[in-house]
This record gives sequence, C-alpha cells and structure tokens, in this order.
Amino acid sequence: MKNRANAKRIIIRMFYAVLVLLFLGPLSGLARDIAPVVSGEWLEKNLSAPGLVIVDIRKVESYKAGHVPGSLSAFYGSWVAKKNNNTNELLEPDDLFDLLSSLGITPTSKVVIVGSVASAPEQCFRTRVAWTLIYGGVKNVALLDGGMEKWLKDKRQVATDFSKAKESEYEGQLEKGINLSKEQILAGLGKAVVVDTRPPDFFFGVAKVPNVAKPGHLKTAVCLPSPWLLDGEGMMKKTEELAAMAAGVVGPDHAKEIMSYCNTGVFASGWWYVLREVLGYRNVKLHDGSMEELARDPNAPIVKYTWK
Amino acid sequence: MYKGVLVDKGLLESDPHFAQGCSFCHKGNEESQNKEAAHKGLMKRPSDDLETCAGCHEEIAASYKNSLHYTSAGQRHGVMGRFSEGELRIFDVKIFEKSCRSCHASCGDCHVKSPAIGGVSTGLLKGHRFVKKDEGKTCALCHGGRVYPEFTGEYGGVPDVHYQKGMACADCHSKGEFHGVGGPYTSRRDVKGRPACIGCHPAGQEKSKKAKTAHTMHAGKASCTSCHSSGNYRNCYNCHEGKGATSKPGFILGRNPRNKDIVTTLRLVPTVRGTFEEMGIKMENFDRLPNYWDAYPHNIKKRTERTRSCTLCHSERKGFLTKEDLIKDGSKANEELLVVPKSLTK
Ligand code: HEC
Ligand code: HEC
Ligand code: HEC
Ligand code: HEC
Ligand code: HEC
Ligand code: HEC
Ligand code: HEC
Ligand code: HEC
Repeated sequence: MKNRANAKRIIIRMFYAVLVLLFLGPLSGLARDIAPVVSGEWLEKNLSAPGLVIVDIRKVESYKAGHVPGSLSAFYGSWVAKKNNNTNELLEPDDLFDLLSSLGITPTSKVVIVGSVASAPEQCFRTRVAWTLIYGGVKNVALLDGGMEKWLKDKRQVATDFSKAKESEYEGQLEKGINLSKEQILAGLGKAVVVDTRPPDFFFGVAKVPNVAKPGHLKTAVCLPSPWLLDGEGMMKKTEELAAMAAGVVGPDHAKEIMSYCNTGVFASGWWYVLREVLGYRNVKLHDGSMEELARDPNAPIVKYTWK
Repeated sequence: MYKGVLVDKGLLESDPHFAQGCSFCHKGNEESQNKEAAHKGLMKRPSDDLETCAGCHEEIAASYKNSLHYTSAGQRHGVMGRFSEGELRIFDVKIFEKSCRSCHASCGDCHVKSPAIGGVSTGLLKGHRFVKKDEGKTCALCHGGRVYPEFTGEYGGVPDVHYQKGMACADCHSKGEFHGVGGPYTSRRDVKGRPACIGCHPAGQEKSKKAKTAHTMHAGKASCTSCHSSGNYRNCYNCHEGKGATSKPGFILGRNPRNKDIVTTLRLVPTVRGTFEEMGIKMENFDRLPNYWDAYPHNIKKRTERTRSCTLCHSERKGFLTKEDLIKDGSKANEELLVVPKSLTK
C-alpha cells in the first residue's frame, strides 16, 4: 500500500520535473546573471564578488546587532510609501532612484536581499523589495535562502559595523508593466488568472484585516497562498514542488497572463517572484493596492463563503 | 530558561562593576543559600537610589539628580501655567508626586535593563553589561507610545530618513538631555546642545536648486517639519486624571505658540478644561495657554506631498488648523494659532 503510494508520488514528481524542464529551461527568456534564490554557502563565497550588493531589509536595530559582512542597511519601510490610504504603495520614481543611488546600485548590479523569515509577512517583505527593484530596472535580484536566521544558525561570518555604500547616480528603465492599477486588475477578471495569495481564511472570507473594508476575494480569483512557499525552516521549497503547486492552481502555461493580489501587496509579491523569477512564467503582474484599495470600491466584485 | 535575567558569567571577572559582588548594589544577603533569606532587603532597582552609582560616577549622578528624566519637571512645567498658586500646591501633592514622578528613569533603565512598561520588562540588555546605549531596548520602550514608532514608521507611516540612514536617538540627542545640565531646570529648552535641524543642515549647503529656493523663501517663516514631516503623527485627546487620554493620528499646521512668526507642525496636548476636575483643580488660568503646541514629529522625509507641491499650503491650505477644527471648549489662546498662508497667484 505504502509502496504503491510512494511510487505514485515519484511518478508525479518526475512528471513535474519534466514540466519544469520544458517550461523553465531555455524557454524562460529571462536573462539572469545570478540565481533567483541563493544559499548562504554561495553568498559567503561571493561576499566580495564585483557588482554584488547585499541589502539587509530588517530593522536597523537588528542590522546593527549583526549582519552579513559588507551588507547595507535599507529597512523594509524605506521601500514602500503610504499613498491615498494604501499602506504599501510603490515609491515615487525619484524617491526610489534616490534610495538605489544611496545603496550604490546600478541597473547591472547583482542585488542579494537579506531579510528575516520569522513571520509570513517578513518572508514576503523580501519578495516585495525584489519586485520593487525589478520595477526600478534592476534585473539581477536574488533572495538569501532561509534569511538571516539560517545564516546565523549556520554560524557564518557576522559584522556589527554600519557599512555605507559609495553612492551611485542611479538611472534605470522602469518596468512599469509589472504593476497593475485597480482598473487593470478588475478588467482582468475572467480573462487573466487572478491569484489571491493570502491564506485561505482570507480568501474564503472568515478572516479579515482591519484596514480592508470587506471580507472575501475577487470573484473568479484562485487561491494560492504565499506563506506556503517556504518550508518550516524558512527555506524556499524545492523548485519542482513550487512548479507543481503553481501548475495545479494557475496551470502550466507559462505565457498565460497572471495577476496577483493580497491585502496590501506584500503576500502578492511572494508568488509573483516565484512564478516569474523562479518558474519562468512570463506574464505575471501585481496589484500593489490590493484588497485595501479594491474593497473600498463598491463596484469591485468581492465574494465570500465560496471557493470560486 | 528565560535569558532575560541571566547574568553573563564572563562579566564577573572582567567588569569593574562586579568587583564587590552583587550585594554591593542589590543589597540582600549574599552568604545565604536560601532564596527567601538571600533576597531579604533585596533592591530590584538599585540605581533608583543615585548613591549606588555616585561612588564612582560622582559628577553624572549629581547632575542626573536634576535632569528631567529624573525629576519629571518637564511635565509639571507643561501644565503649571494653567494653575493658580493654590492649585499648583494641590497638584504637586496630589498628582505630581503620586503619578507623574512614578515614571522617571533610573540610570539602569538606560544602561542595564529594559525599562518596565506596564509592569513588564524584557530584562537585562546584555547579560547585565553596563552598556553606553542601546536605544532600541531602552528609549524605544518609554518613548514607545509616540516617538519611537513614528521614527521607525511602525505607527502606520514611513520611517524617518535618519532611521533609514542608520541613526538612532543618541546620534541627535546628547548627554545633556540624559544626564542633565548640572543644576535644576524645568524644560528641555534649557538644555544647550539639544538637537536642531539647522545645526546639522546649515542653510546654503543644499545639493539642489529646488531645495535652496524653497529654503530661502521660508527661512524664519515656516519650520523644517512643516514641509519635511512625512505625515500623520500622534495627537492625544481629552485626558482625564486617572482615566488617560485617547489618541489618534493627525497632521496640524499653525503658528508656533512660542514664536508666532513661524508656521510649524502642532500637536494637540491632552489637557482639557476638566482634566483635573476630580482633584478639585479647575485651572483658573486655563485660557492663558493654547491646547496646541509646536511638535517635532520624528517622521522626517526629504520629499513629502508639501515639498512636491507649493499649492498644498498656499492655496489648498491642507493641514492648516481652522476655526472649525479647534477642539470644543478649548483654550481661548487657540485662535491666535490660526493662519492663512498667502496665495501665490496674485
Ligand atoms: C565601583 C565603582 C563603580 C560603580 C559603583 C559604578 N560604576 Fe559604572 N563604571 C565604573 C568604571 C571604572 C567604568 C569604566 C569601565 C571601562 O571603561 O571599562 C564604568 C563605566 C560605566 C559605564 C560606561 C560603559 C561603557 O561601555 O563605556 C556606564 C554606562 C556605567 N558605568 C554605569 C553605571 C551605573 C548605572 C552605575 C550604578 C548602578 C554604576 N556605573 C556604578 C565604575 C563604577
Ligand atoms: C524610564 C523611561 C524613559 C527612558 C528609558 C527614556 N526616557 Fe526620555 N523621557 C521619559 C519621560 C517620562 C520624559 C518626560 C520628562 C519630563 O520632562 O517630565 C522624557 C523626556 C525626554 C526628552 C525631552 C526632555 C529632555 O529631557 O530633554 C528627550 C529628548 C528624551 N526623553 C529622549 C530619550 C532618549 C534618547 C532615551 C534613550 C537614550 C530616553 N529618552 C530614555 C522617559 C524615559
Ligand atoms: C535617559 C537615559 C539615560 C539615563 C537615565 C542615564 N544615562 Fe548615562 N548615558 C546615556 C547615554 C545615551 C549615554 C551615551 C552617550 C554617548 O556616548 O552617545 C550615556 C553615557 C554614560 C556613561 C559613559 C561615560 C560618558 O560620560 O559618556 C556613564 C558612565 C553613564 N552614562 C552613567 C550614568 C549614570 C551613573 C546614570 C544615573 C545617575 C545615568 N548614566 C543615567 C543615557 C542615560
Ligand atoms: C554596580 C551595581 C550593580 C551590581 C554590582 C549588580 N547589579 Fe544587578 N542591576 C543593577 C542595575 C542598575 C539594574 C537595573 C535596575 C535599575 O534600574 O536599577 C540591575 C538589574 C538586575 C537584574 C534585573 C532585575 C529585574 O527586575 O529585571 C538582575 C536579575 C540583576 N541585576 C542581578 C544581579 C546579579 C546576580 C549581580 C551579581 C552577579 C548583580 N546584579 C550585580 C546594578 C548592579
Ligand atoms: C535626526 C535627529 C533626531 C533623532 C535621530 C531623534 N530625535 Fe528626538 N528630537 C530631535 C529634534 C530636533 C527635537 C526637537 C528639539 C527640541 O526642541 O528640544 C527632538 C525632540 C525630541 C523629544 C521632545 C519632543 C517630543 O516630541 O516629545 C523627545 C522625547 C525625543 N526627541 C525623543 C527621541 C527618541 C526617543 C529618539 C529615538 C527613537 C529620537 N528622539 C531621535 C531630533 C532627533
Ligand atoms: C545630529 C545631526 C542631525 C540633525 C539634528 C538632523 N539631521 Fe537630518 N540628517 C543628518 C544626517 C547625518 C543625514 C544623512 C545624510 C546622508 O547620509 O545622506 C540626514 C539626512 C536628512 C535628510 C535627507 C537628505 C537627503 O539628501 O536625502 C533630510 C530631508 C533631513 N535630514 C532633514 C532634517 C530635519 C528636517 C531635521 C530636524 C527635524 C534634521 N534633519 C535633523 C543629520 C541630522
Ligand atoms: C517650504 C517647504 C520647505 C521648508 C520649510 C524646508 N524645506 Fe527642506 N526641502 C524642501 C524642498 C522642496 C526640497 C527639495 C526636495 C526634492 O529634491 O525634491 C528640500 C530638501 C531638503 C534637504 C535635502 C537637501 C538636498 O541637498 O537636496 C534637506 C536636508 C532639507 N530640505 C532640510 C531642511 C531643513 C533643515 C529645513 C529647516 C531649516 C527645511 N528643509 C525647511 C522644502 C522645504
Ligand atoms: C508647509 C506649507 C508651505 C509650503 C509647502 C510652501 N509654503 Fe511658501 N509660505 C508658507 C508660509 C506659512 C509662508 C509665510 C507667509 C504667509 O503666511 O504666506 C510662506 C511664504 C512664502 C513666500 C513669501 C510670501 C511673502 O510675501 O511673505 C513665498 C514667495 C512662498 N512662500 C513661495 C512658496 C513656494 C514657491 C513654494 C513651493 C516650493 C512654497 N511656498 C511652499 C508655507 C508654505
């Protein structure tokens, strides 16, 4: 009995491994000079690699208490703006370019994001920063797998100085297409695959955060929670497993238009990053206003107590 | 085991503070093997008695005795202008000594362990090391209702640019504000060397012409925070002795009550006409002082909606206090703070 179940699981895994090869391999079109998720081992060996910028997005106090040597502090809050009553909006381009300049980043830099994996929002702060960097025109963005917790657990080198970068004069090409307005995501319902990346309780409508006016999800959206991206140790799940999860919910077609949202645009970046940067889906977008903005619109079709 | 109160063993040998044993500061009976007996007469907060530290840090202890963090005189100073002489005497006995003074800082609150908030402390800062500073675990807690969350952006806003650049409280606030200035004083304005924006950002050193122009036009007319405070900060409403106040975010512009030529960010202070009513203090001079005071929100940004748009102040008057906004039954002095900036189009 058990053996047969195992065999079946292996066959399924192989099937998805083939799928991954088919869709991810040379087809994926996204030229990268760094893997989308890097290990502590890799990072420790490459600490002084040319063009590498390590950005620590944890609170400044945590950074000062101990960080990856040479990494620069840029607290998560520096990467988002509060606008029109939405808590997590993109920075204005001038503020974003100032921030990138102060970190010495150029469009060809390889940026490794170091964050905490202590909570689901913090896990996705990392991908939200990655999305913002890519929006700003930096293509080579990576996450440190397992976050600072894993780095410390593995007893890797730690510094307590406050490193400053040699400032650059950042000028990049904004990739505006990856950010959706409310009108765009509403127009996508029924046409694109709209992905709700919050935990199922929120999707179903039995849970709600205070800053979102109504419980439930956008009609026709599918549920694919970002907290499920990592294993219990805060490590990114294996690529074939992620591919299988994605294929099961959004389908295997990498050309399909996909739109992600959540409460405020943090969780939405988790699957955005994995779908596009790890799995090679080519047409993935994110609505940074998310439910906070959508639920204020009486015309947005928000439904609850249904999985459809 | 809970590590919050675990003393780092290595310190006992290396740190001069421990040379004379624990009981030197904590009293109790070091010889006893029995908890009850050993803890008899134990002082949990030895540095509340400044003598504990004075033996070796004489000057600091002598000066600290008069500092606002120890005397809480600033709080008294803030309200006393509203009292008659008789009322001040009642206030001092019934309220100041009992309630305000209770939240003063001991040396250890900044140097040894996280201050207890609502009776709870997270324990020693670093295994009982006597640290120079650790703002995130000390200042952050006592100033955690307003200043600290504003600074890190956790109060629903965005982080202060100085926090973003790695600065902490003591990078701007200097020793005079912690250890006092020597003799007695009643307001933080008496401390020389307290921080000022202009002290670190002198006029004329701007990188951009845009900044230079805006600054030249407003020198002596609008404060730095009026343009650079990024948004809402905490305002307290309707405080009643023993019941506390309610707070909500807001952003208010008006004349600085201390210098009416300048427009600045204002904060509503919680004292209302009835605040001390139950203690028999009517506040005979209530109307002498306004209910709004100049505020220094710790939420500075280079660009804000006001640095982006001149018309926000000059025609829309966004954020400016109006007669309709004034709190009900407030001080008569409030009206002097109202201002209508000139329209830029003639
Ligand atoms: C027996 C003498 C003695 C007593 C009592 C004493 N100190 Fe000290 N303290 C010292 C000495 C000596 C130094 C300098 C140590 C050094 O430079 O390593 C010092 C340094 C310090 C420092 C600076 C630490 C640093 O990292 O530079 C602080 C803070 C401090 N003491 C606080 C206190 C407080 C608070 C008390 C009272 C609870 C106290 N001390 C009582 C002798 C004492
Ligand atoms: C035990 C609680 C406590 C701690 C710890 C504490 N404060 Fe305070 N602080 C207060 C109180 C209460 C006041 C109001 C005192 C008064 O004026 O009556 C105050 C006032 C101030 C003031 C304005 C008045 C003045 O004295 O200049 C500043 C600035 C300040 N604190 C900064 C800090 C910084 C920076 C730290 C950390 C190094 C810190 N505080 C730690 C409770 C605390
Ligand atoms: C409100 C917080 C606060 C309180 C209360 C406080 N200190 Fe400090 N103290 C500081 C800070 C902050 C510094 C470090 C200033 C710096 O170097 O930037 C400091 C520095 C020191 C130092 C290092 C030597 C020096 O002069 O820089 C000693 C010693 C010290 N304090 C002792 C004391 C003693 C003794 C008391 C009580 C009598 C006390 N402090 C109360 C905040 C405080
Ligand atoms: C030089 C003075 C000094 C000496 C010696 C000293 N302490 Fe302390 N201790 C303090 C101060 C100061 C505090 C913080 C409380 C305060 O603000 O006064 C503190 C706090 C503590 C606390 C935390 C109490 C609480 O309520 O959370 C513990 C536990 C403690 N000390 C244990 C010890 C032990 C054990 C020793 C001997 C190994 C020792 N201390 C020696 C000054 C001292
Ligand atoms: C960039 C510099 C800077 C930093 C960093 C800074 N402050 Fe201030 N702070 C100021 C200035 C300027 C004032 C107004 C000075 C005055 O009028 O005395 C002020 C005023 C204050 C006041 C009195 C006014 C009020 O709003 O109650 C307190 C308390 C205070 N700061 C606490 C803190 C604490 C706690 C921190 C760390 C979380 C901190 N400050 C960090 C510059 C700074
Ligand atoms: C103790 C010195 C100090 C004080 C006081 C201070 N600042 Fe700063 N400020 C700095 C430093 C240092 C920086 C960071 C410069 C850098 O790294 O680019 C900075 C950065 C800034 C920036 C961002 C500049 C840029 O080019 O991005 C602004 C805006 C600013 N401060 C405004 C203010 C205002 C308004 C106040 C008063 C509330 C103030 N500062 C008080 C030292 C100070
Ligand atoms: C009338 C609004 C206004 C007032 C008042 C104001 N500023 Fe500014 N400030 C600006 C504008 C506009 C900029 C340019 C922002 C940009 O680059 O988009 C600026 C930029 C700055 C910068 C960055 C400078 C640079 O080199 O680019 C600093 C630092 C600063 N201000 C500090 C201050 C200080 C300190 C005060 C008080 C003495 C002050 N500001 C008062 C509008 C104002
Ligand atoms: C925070 C609000 C605020 C902003 C933003 C602001 N101003 Fe002002 N401005 C004032 C105040 C207050 C005065 C003082 C005189 C008054 O009441 O009109 C003033 C005065 C002036 C004056 C002098 C008028 C006179 O005759 O005294 C000029 C010119 C001016 N501003 C231009 C600008 C320009 C240009 C901008 C955009 C770069 C701007 N202001 C942004 C508040 C603001």
